Amino acid sequence: MMREESIRIPFRFAAGRAGSRMLAALRDDKQILGSHCPVCVRTLAPARPFCPECGGENLKTVELGSGAVLVSWTDMPGRGLFALVRPDGADTAMIHKLLGQSGDFHIGARLRAVFAAERRGHIADLQGFEPDPGSAA
Amino acid sequence: MRHQVIIAGLGDTESALEDSRSIPEMVLAAVQTALADAGIDYGAIDSVVTASVDLFDGITASNIAVTEVVGAVMKPETRISADGLAAIAHGACQIWSGAYETVLVVAHAKTSMARYQELTQWAMDPIHVQPLGVDFLTCAGLQARLLAHGDAGADRRWAQIAADRRGRASRPLAPASSVEEILASKPVALPLRQGMCAPMGDGACAIVLRGAATGAQGPVLRGIGYDLEPHALGDRDLTHWHGLERALQRACKTAELQRAYAHFDFAEPSCLFAHEEELFTAAVKLREDTEISADGGLLAACVPVVAGMSRLATATRQLRGAEDGGRRALVHGTWGPVAQGQVVAILEGTPL
Ligand SMILES: [Zn+2]
Repeated sequence: MMREESIRIPFRFAAGRAGSRMLAALRDDKQILGSHCPVCVRTLAPARPFCPECGGENLKTVELGSGAVLVSWTDMPGRGLFALVRPDGADTAMIHKLLGQSGDFHIGARLRAVFAAERRGHIADLQGFEPDPGSAA
Repeated sequence: MRHQVIIAGLGDTESALEDSRSIPEMVLAAVQTALADAGIDYGAIDSVVTASVDLFDGITASNIAVTEVVGAVMKPETRISADGLAAIAHGACQIWSGAYETVLVVAHAKTSMARYQELTQWAMDPIHVQPLGVDFLTCAGLQARLLAHGDAGADRRWAQIAADRRGRASRPLAPASSVEEILASKPVALPLRQGMCAPMGDGACAIVLRGAATGAQGPVLRGIGYDLEPHALGDRDLTHWHGLERALQRACKTAELQRAYAHFDFAEPSCLFAHEEELFTAAVKLREDTEISADGGLLAACVPVVAGMSRLATATRQLRGAEDGGRRALVHGTWGPVAQGQVVAILEGTPL
């Protein structure tokens, strides 16, 4: 015998200080934020409350470009394309979606960020990244 | 001097795509077999370490559902929410420290209860990643693409690994298939195809660890080490299992072995995807005569959480069966997205 159940419980996840700044910038300015660690001399994407390398909290919030480089991607049929992308100005990559067909992409390709018309302070305000037609790379 | 830890008893359920028993029933079967194998009863257990993941069980504090069957009523019990081999590490420390003489370690999972991959979404960052629908399989696909970059033969090699492993298993959870069939199998997270992924199922494993002072016989758990990588994939070097290198270094240190000269007769890696076996061999730099995944490993049959403990069980059987007895095995477990957590155990058979 099996008892069938679907667990559905509403949750509220706090985005925190850095996460909230990041989501507000996506919503209000179509801007991706990162954090620069002066100790590691490394700019992290997306914005962080602390440096994952040295643990330092003394990070400087920086505006990253809307252009990006494709670091890796995967095609999940029925679910779309997911990617690790490194926004211009960042040293690390972030996970997001790719907009287009698998054949449009290759590692190292130039991408540009696409933002939703209606934004609500959510990671999906950034719809994903598409091939940058202005780039031959 | 540190107390010696003996693998005194083993018990596991045969992993199945769906085991119709309840979790406590599965766990009970594994525990009874392990206790019989060790020649002891519940009364001899000083302490229990369990490994389970609430999300997979659909119950919070999932260890409280197995308290009775693991013999933990009115006993100290510790729960580890990671791979079962990490629970072995904690059990071993209890004996090494002299706190207890007999520790029962138990792991279980039942993937048939829910959609396993969908559940793994809830292990991802809830602000930046989970809302995108990223799960462990997505992460593995991102890693595989990076590894296949500029390496045209990668997918064929991975298919070969999966075919070999599944081919040597007596009861694989996915049918044995040829390289061509694996290369043509369903794309799941390209470049990964279904045939390159470990088939998931239900199971439980119990292992009795005992101090040498009890007179227990069996392979000796010489060393153990583990390591964690950062959570965010973009913060990590996904082309190497650096965490495994560090975990093995630590395991060698606790085993008082020189990492550079430590030879292993058997290696039991936890590989959930065929490309992970290449990451494993690159990180541990085994000699060519090391036998890897004697029973097909996780690419043939995988029960999450139980995974690393099932590798320990297989390595123990290998050492028990070795003719001269005096052999060494490297056992490996992982947990989290693209093996964020890595754990290594070093086992030695007793020379006859
Ligand atoms: Zn830093």
